[in-house]
Amino acid sequence: MKLTIVKPLMAVMALLAWPVSTFAASEAPGWLQERMFASGKINTVVMVVGAVLIGIAIWMFALDRRIGKLEKNAKDKK
Amino acid sequence: MKGWWWKGLSVVLLLYVVLVGLHTPLGPALVYASLDRIAPGPITVGATGYNTHFTKETPQVWLENDGYRVCAAAVDVHSDVLLQATFNVPPGLRSNMTSLWAWDATDGPVVLRDAFFTEELGKDLQGAGCTVSTTERSGFSFPNRTILNETIRNLFFHVPMWFTMMVLMTIAFVQSLLVLRKGNLAHDRMALSAVDTSLLFAALGLITGSIWARATWGDWWTSDPKLNGAAVTVLIYAAYLILRGSVPDPHKRARLAAIYNIFAYVLMMVFLMVLPRLTDSLHPGNGGNPAFSQYDLDSSLRAVFYPAVTGWVLLGVWAYTLHLRTARLISIADEANDR
Repeated sequence: MKLTIVKPLMAVMALLAWPVSTFAASEAPGWLQERMFASGKINTVVMVVGAVLIGIAIWMFALDRRIGKLEKNAKDKK
Repeated sequence: MKGWWWKGLSVVLLLYVVLVGLHTPLGPALVYASLDRIAPGPITVGATGYNTHFTKETPQVWLENDGYRVCAAAVDVHSDVLLQATFNVPPGLRSNMTSLWAWDATDGPVVLRDAFFTEELGKDLQGAGCTVSTTERSGFSFPNRTILNETIRNLFFHVPMWFTMMVLMTIAFVQSLLVLRKGNLAHDRMALSAVDTSLLFAALGLITGSIWARATWGDWWTSDPKLNGAAVTVLIYAAYLILRGSVPDPHKRARLAAIYNIFAYVLMMVFLMVLPRLTDSLHPGNGGNPAFSQYDLDSSLRAVFYPAVTGWVLLGVWAYTLHLRTARLISIADEANDR
């Protein structure tokens, strides 16, 4: 029951993060983005948010597997 | 829906953090000047702004050196973020470093501190030079700091990972104490689940910190005391899991792991909270005597940072409860199988 809530939540957060962060980048003119290390650096924020989401997704898969084993166990018993 | 409110709260808070944390613009700033040294005489300098609005109204531009201001003789605006200013630099400026300032009603005062190395110093100039406006702008924005720039938003995603890790490790610590007091395997399971989940957040903290460090400190890993302390902490807790795996008897394992975990918690506190404060660190709030006010957080960042910490900690506790409930079910299934 819990899992069905968490996964769409993460998907929604990922979808929200994507257009919003690119909007923040559009504040800077093109040539300024080329000098990312002089200013801006919004890509770093995108990478950080992405890393967090990927990390949580990997954890979810691990939990999914544990529960999958439980389910299999329960089925075998029947 | 009983018992669900805090899970919903974590979702709502994190939604707010993502929306406001990524959507709020940075305040305007000067980020680049085309010269890096000035000498007496006429000079023309190009200045680059970030999130500035130079075309709305030609800004006042001035140099400031030890309290003495030199206003631009002419300002030529090329775009919202690009202007050229001509100065007549007088001889006898007092300080080595001269800052470049600009002001317009939309952006308020923006500055590139210590932009120019100054040649031919003297002591002749008195007073404050020309007069300028310094009326602050209004509106909600995050501070635009040199080097940090947009990455200041990482505050809402990197720092709460460590807060969450510490909360979960504190849960593990308390459960370990209870194991020693009561010898109950249920508490041992809680401690294990808390450590397991806290390592997720430690890993995320390390990865996000590494990405942030690359963009601001110039390297994926620096020998900052806090970084090395965090790495050692993760290794200590990884050893906790290995220790558990090496003891087959569950009651013996519970007691041993509890004793180890209590030491690990103390070490974690020393490595993350004590040692970085005794020496210089690139992290804010370290090296010297830190207080929360010294985190350089202004009110706009606090408005997102505190909800971010609350939201991530609640999400971490949620993850811990999921892990724990699965572990409980697994042990029930194992017991049934043994019978």
